[in-house]
Amino acid sequence: MGAPVHGLTTQTQTSAQKVKHNTKRHRRHLLGNIVSRYYFLFSILALCVVLGLVIIFIGKTALLLFSQISPMDFFFSFNWSPEEDMFGAAAFIVNTLSLTALTLVIAVPVSVGMAVLCAEIAPKWLNSFIRPVLDLLVGIPSIVYGYLGLTVLLPFLRRISGEGLGDGLLAAALVLALMVLPTICRISDDAITAVPRKYRDAAYALGSTRLQVIMRVVLPAASRGIISAVILGMTRAVGETMAVVMVIGNTPQLAKSLFAPTSVLTSNIVMQISNVEFDSTWNYALHMMAFLLLLISFVLILVIRLLGRKRRDA
Amino acid sequence: MKVFRKLTVTALTAVIAVTASFAGVAAAADSLKGKITVNGSTALLPLTLQAAKEFQKLHPKVKIAASGKGSVTGPQAVKKGIADIGACDWDASVDVPGFKAFDGQVANKVAVIPFATIVNKNVGVDNLTTEQLKGIYSGKITNWKEVGGADANIVVITRAFGSGTRVNYQAKALGGGDIVKKEKNYKETGSSGDMKTAVGTTPNAIGYIDLVYVTGSDIKAVKFNGVEATTDNVINGSYKIWAYGYYMTKGQPTGATKEFIEYVQSKKFQSGSLKKLKFIPISAMQS
Repeated sequence: MGAPVHGLTTQTQTSAQKVKHNTKRHRRHLLGNIVSRYYFLFSILALCVVLGLVIIFIGKTALLLFSQISPMDFFFSFNWSPEEDMFGAAAFIVNTLSLTALTLVIAVPVSVGMAVLCAEIAPKWLNSFIRPVLDLLVGIPSIVYGYLGLTVLLPFLRRISGEGLGDGLLAAALVLALMVLPTICRISDDAITAVPRKYRDAAYALGSTRLQVIMRVVLPAASRGIISAVILGMTRAVGETMAVVMVIGNTPQLAKSLFAPTSVLTSNIVMQISNVEFDSTWNYALHMMAFLLLLISFVLILVIRLLGRKRRDA
Repeated sequence: MKVFRKLTVTALTAVIAVTASFAGVAAAADSLKGKITVNGSTALLPLTLQAAKEFQKLHPKVKIAASGKGSVTGPQAVKKGIADIGACDWDASVDVPGFKAFDGQVANKVAVIPFATIVNKNVGVDNLTTEQLKGIYSGKITNWKEVGGADANIVVITRAFGSGTRVNYQAKALGGGDIVKKEKNYKETGSSGDMKTAVGTTPNAIGYIDLVYVTGSDIKAVKFNGVEATTDNVINGSYKIWAYGYYMTKGQPTGATKEFIEYVQSKKFQSGSLKKLKFIPISAMQS
């Protein structure tokens, strides 16, 4: 076949082909859109189904508990001695809430302060060092934090407090604070960075100092982002198990002091679940505690979301 | 990219060819088939894994899946039909404190597990009697000077209720005595590894652990009623804190499961790999 003939045929065909090609491409795009739409829909549905199954299965086993003991006993008794058929979980619930609160009290000021430093004050070279370090901290497995807590933090706490053991709420809260710090800090950092420049410029134009700009303009403008950062940090603190188990002492009793060995919902579940018979009241009680943990997470997130919304409206 | 892909294909083909030829050769030699699932005690897991490795070399058509979670999950899993063998640190076919007997299950002895009382390296005491241990774990003795040590509070570290180590320690070292929770200076750990770290890093701490874990300079094993915790003393009968490890089965074991248990109980394994793993052969205790 000669080259010119070939060239001729292609030239005459191109326009027709172009049209064909375009419709083809159009169709392909349409198909792509439809497929991706169903794919996303399916993903979300799958997620919902899995979440639903988790709730149903944990809830189903958990609710079996109340055919054996009364909810009053479970929620309001402080006596957890399953080997004597006493299943009072009140101590764990209170401890979990106080541990989370203590963690946030320690972690939030520090991490938001660091976020402000990163976003507003620090020079570029410092940021290019701090941010990767924080990202690395998120990736460290929690059991490593727990081990460091056990081998480094506890001896230190023992020395400064004069206690024999050092385990307890304070040790757990310090370990947890270190774990949630990067999460809260990085997300707050993003939120603060996202505050439009013109807000700051306007504030400076009015004669504000840098502190005033940060406290009165930037932080309030970024508050929703910061709050969602705190939510994420908090859910991690509520559900964290491995690190807590190693430094809290695992004695099922109400924490009356920062240094008394105690136990929270997660640590008690992980300590006991593998040593408990499948179809026993004890097992149901542990499932109920897991279910409760789920509910506590949901409620805390809801509460803080509502708070966040209100503050924005005001 | 092309080179890489070519390499991958070549490597895969080679792997498949090698595996196929191995399987072919081995299969011709043996006719025992089956699937064995082992679940239960973490203390016995190293033994099970080693035995499985050796057994599968002899009988390549037998698949053995082993996992460890906690002693009581062994007989539990057997009862539910999830596992063929339930590894357990106590004889689950009879009642023990805290756990009812599992009806219809047969206990097959596979090893002897010695346990030791351990203390932090700073503790001066090196011998404790049954009565003294009872006092310490029941909360009546709270200071080391009451048992001949320095004036310091005893930090009691124990395993969670239901741990096989705890069940055996309570029965053998505390003469069935209780381990009571205390407000302070009391801690529960979830595994043998945690126990070792906790006792090693906590001054004035006391705990208990499988003898094989007693290594390093942070912890030391104390004598029990004047007898040192060694495998020799277990074998000659003077050291009392030890227990049999069991493979629980639903009724008498059959087929591949039976063969596997017999392999673990065989002289070759008992005095070979089992000893290397620092367990004690069961035959040593029957004299």
